[in-house]
Amino acid sequence: MIKRILILLIYSLVLTGCWDKRELDELAITMAIGVDESDVGYLVTAQVVVPLEVSIKGNTGNSPITQVRAEGETVFEAIRKLAKIVPREIYPGHLRMLVISETVAEKGIGEIVDYFSRNWEMRSDFYVVVAKEMTAEEILNVSTSIETIPANSMFNMLNVAQETWSSTRGIQINDLISDIGSDGKEAVVTGIEVIGDQELGSSKQNVETITPGARLRLVDLGVFKEDKLVGWLTEEESIGYNKVTNQVKSSVTTLSCPEGGTMAIELLRANSEIKAKIINGTPEVEMKMETEGNIAEVDCQIDLMKVENITKLEKLYSDKVKEVMQKSITTLQKDFNADIFGFGDAVHRADAKVWKKLEPNWDQEFSELEVNIKVDAKITQFGVIVNPIKIKEKE
Amino acid sequence: MGFFNKKKKKMESASSASTTPASLLQPENALKISLKENLQKIKEELGNSTDIVFREFRIGKNKSIQAGAIYTDGLTDTESWERIIKQLLELDIQGDSDNQKKATEQNFMDELNFSLNIGDVRNFTDFNMLYASLLSGETILLVEGYTQGIAISNKHWEERGVTEPSSQTVVRGPREGFSENLRINTALVRRKIKDPDLWLETKIIGKHTKTNVAVMYINGIVNEKLVKEVHERLDRINIDGIFESGNIEELIEDSPYSPFPTIINTERPDAVAAALLDGRIAILVDGTPFVLIVPSLFIEFFQSPEDYYQRAYIASLVRFLRFVAYGIALLAPAIFIALTTYHQEMIPTALLMNLAHQREGVPFPAFVETILVEITFEILREAGLRMPRSIGPTMSIVGAFVLGSASVEAGMITAATVIIVSITAICSYVSPLYDISISIRMLRFIFIGLAALFGLFGIIVGLIVMVLHLCSLRSFGIPYMSPLAPFNLADQKDTLFRFPQWKMFTRTRLINQQNVVKQQSPDSAKPEPNKN
Repeated sequence: MIKRILILLIYSLVLTGCWDKRELDELAITMAIGVDESDVGYLVTAQVVVPLEVSIKGNTGNSPITQVRAEGETVFEAIRKLAKIVPREIYPGHLRMLVISETVAEKGIGEIVDYFSRNWEMRSDFYVVVAKEMTAEEILNVSTSIETIPANSMFNMLNVAQETWSSTRGIQINDLISDIGSDGKEAVVTGIEVIGDQELGSSKQNVETITPGARLRLVDLGVFKEDKLVGWLTEEESIGYNKVTNQVKSSVTTLSCPEGGTMAIELLRANSEIKAKIINGTPEVEMKMETEGNIAEVDCQIDLMKVENITKLEKLYSDKVKEVMQKSITTLQKDFNADIFGFGDAVHRADAKVWKKLEPNWDQEFSELEVNIKVDAKITQFGVIVNPIKIKEKE
Repeated sequence: MGFFNKKKKKMESASSASTTPASLLQPENALKISLKENLQKIKEELGNSTDIVFREFRIGKNKSIQAGAIYTDGLTDTESWERIIKQLLELDIQGDSDNQKKATEQNFMDELNFSLNIGDVRNFTDFNMLYASLLSGETILLVEGYTQGIAISNKHWEERGVTEPSSQTVVRGPREGFSENLRINTALVRRKIKDPDLWLETKIIGKHTKTNVAVMYINGIVNEKLVKEVHERLDRINIDGIFESGNIEELIEDSPYSPFPTIINTERPDAVAAALLDGRIAILVDGTPFVLIVPSLFIEFFQSPEDYYQRAYIASLVRFLRFVAYGIALLAPAIFIALTTYHQEMIPTALLMNLAHQREGVPFPAFVETILVEITFEILREAGLRMPRSIGPTMSIVGAFVLGSASVEAGMITAATVIIVSITAICSYVSPLYDISISIRMLRFIFIGLAALFGLFGIIVGLIVMVLHLCSLRSFGIPYMSPLAPFNLADQKDTLFRFPQWKMFTRTRLINQQNVVKQQSPDSAKPEPNKN
C-alpha cells in the first residue's frame, strides 16, 4: 500500500512540476516601463533588451533595445496586450525604471503604483521617475552612450547624482507606497527630461557623435500631495529637502568669501535630526544638523593658516546650510502646503494624542508650523594644499 | 518485493541441496594410517588438480620410513622446500614397530617437528585442516603409519610490495600504503603502535575463498560492546567468497541502501593507526590494500590525514574548502537550472542578459542540456578509468575540445552549462575520501530533477529530506552526523575546524565512552618559549 502511494506521489510530482517553467530564450527582458495617458486609459511603453546586442560576442551593432507600446484601460491590460507585438513574454523581473508622464502624475499615480507593487514578478528595487513636461514614451525613446541600455543609464544617473550632488532622490516603489500611504509625510519623485533634439534621440546617429543630439537629464524633485503631482522644487530647494530629511551623502556648497570672491565646500558628512515638541497644544519642530566639510576650491584670497579665518568660514558655512534648509521648508509651507519632510510623523511620534487632533487638517497646521533649525558646521579638511596660490595683483 | 522473496526462497532451497560433500562432515574425515590411501583420497578430492604437487620419498638415514609431501605449486617457496627435503633425508630417526606405534606416535611427531629448522610447523589430524593448510600455501608432510600430519609454513608467492597509496595521496605525511598481504598490513600498523594493548583477532570468512580477516583494536581504549558488535556482524556473514573489503563492508553496514557510506576504507597505515587510537576498530582483509574503519562518521570523510600534519589554520581553511566544494558538487547544476528556468529575478541583470544571449538558438531546454553534459562527463570519467593508459591523453583532448568547446561553438549547448558541469566535476574530487564523492555523484541527478520540476523549492525539499536521512543514519550504533547532531561541544575541536594539537586532548566522546582523555595535562603540551 505504502509503495502504491509512493508511486502515485512520484507520478503526481512529474505531472504537476514545471508549470511555471520558462527558459531564458522565452523571455523579453524588460528594463523600463513608461506609462502615459491615452484616450482608452493608459499607454504603456516597454523597453525590451535584445540579448544578442548587449553581449560582447556576436553583436551586430543594432540597437541593444527595442521599444514596444500598447494601450489599455489598465496598466496590466496594456502590458498583456504587448504580446500582440512581442514574440516573447514580457518579463519585468529585472525592471530598472518606471517612468510616469507628468500628465498622469498630476491625475494620480495610485492605480499604477498598486499594479507595480502587487505584481509578484517584479523586484522592488527599481526607481520611479516623472517625465517633466513630456511623455514617458519620449523619455524612453532616447538612445544613450556609455550605458547602452537607456534604463540602466537612468538607473545609474540616479545613483550617482544622489551620492555626489544630492539634488535628486532615487525613489523606489516601496518608498513611494509608504509615503503616499502615510498621513504625516508626502511623497517626492525625481523628474527627468530630454535635452536637445528629440527627433534625433531614438536614432542610432545619436550615440555615434561625440556630442549626442539628444540626452536624458535628471531634473529636481517633484512634490506630491497624496498621489498627485502638485509642482516642482528648484535645485537648491531639492538639496535643502535632502538635507532636512538626512539623505545627503555628499554635495557642494558655494560660499562667498569675507573679502570678495567665492569658495566651494565639499560636504563630507551630514547628519540631521528632526524632533517635535508640543507646547501648549501647538507643535513645534526642532531640527539639528551636524555637518563636516572639506575646502574643495578657493577662488579668493584668504589665509587658511589662521584659525580665526576658519572659524569665520565655519560660521558662513553653517549660515548657508541653514539658509538652504530654511528656504526649502518655507517654499513647501507657503507654496505647496505639502509636508514632504515627515514633520507630521515626528509630531505623531512625540505625542500621539495631539497628533490625533491635528491630523484631519495637518496641511493647514504644517503651513503654520514653527521650525527651528540649528546647524553645527565644521571645516575639517583642506585638500592637498592649504593656502590658495597667490596671484600678483597688477598695480 | 514479492518477486524477490520468491527468488530468495528458491535460492535457499537450491543451496541447501548442494551443501558441502558429506564426506567432510564424517568421522572418517580423520587421516588414515595408510599413506597410499591418504594420498589417493587427496588426489580424488582435489580433482587431480595439476598445481598440486605430490612427492613420495623415504626419510631417515636408513631410508626406512615412507613419507609423502604435498604442496601447491606457486604458493610455496621452492628454495626452502629443497632444504626441507634434504633435512628429512638426512634425519637420524627410526621407524617404530607396529605395537609400539600407538604409544610413541606423539613422540615421533614431536621429534620430527623439532628436527625441522623452519619457522612455523603445525600438526593436524584431519583432512579439513589439511586442505586449509595445503591451499593457503603450506607444505603437508604425511608419514606412512601415522594418523598425524605436519603442515610446514613455507608460503611464498609473488606480490606487490609496500608502495605509495594511489588514493588519498598527501603532500606531507608517510608515503607507505597497505598492500595485498594481510601480514604485511598488520605489520605496518604494528610498526606505528608498539603497544601490547594493540590486539589482533583473525577469522576466516568465505566458504570457498577462506579469506583471512583480521580485527584490530586497542584494548582499553575501544568500547568493548563495539568489539562484540563487530564480531557478531562478521560471524553473521555466510557467503562463498570475500575478495575485497568492499564485500565485507556491504555485509556489515548499518544501512546498505543509503547513498552515504557509513564505513571508511583507507590505504593509509597512519590513518588506521590514528583511528585505532581514537577507539575505532580496523578490519583488515587479506588480498586487498583497503582497510575498513568502524564506526565512521559523516564528518570524517572530510578529514584528511594531512590535516594533522599541517598547521592548524591552514588545515581548518582547507577543511572549510572541502565542505564548500562538496556543496558545489552536489548543488551547482541544480541551482543553475532552478535559477534560469524559474527564478530569473535572482540572477544579476548583467549576468541574466549574458545567459539569455547564450541561450539564443540553443535547441534544448536548460534541464535537458545539463543532463546531456553531465552524462557526457560521467561517460568520460568511466571511460578514463577503464581505457588503456596510452590512450588517456587522446581521450582528454576529445573530451575537452571536441565535446566541450566544439559543441559550444556549434551552438548545441551553452558555455554556461559546460562551465557549471566542469566546476561540479572538479569539486567532486576535492573530498579526501573517494567514497563520499560517489554519494553525491548520484544525488546530484536527483537534485537536478527536483530543480527542473520545482525550482529552488524542490532543491530545499530535497535538502531537507537529505539532512533528515543523514541524521537517521548510524554507523555501528553511533549517530552518523555526530558530533553535529547530536551536538557535542567538546568534539567540535576536530569537526568543522581543526584545533591545535594540544587543544584536542579528548577522544571522540560517543565512540570512546570509558577512556576519553588523550593528554592528561593538555596545557603542558602547549609550546611555550623558555622563560629563562
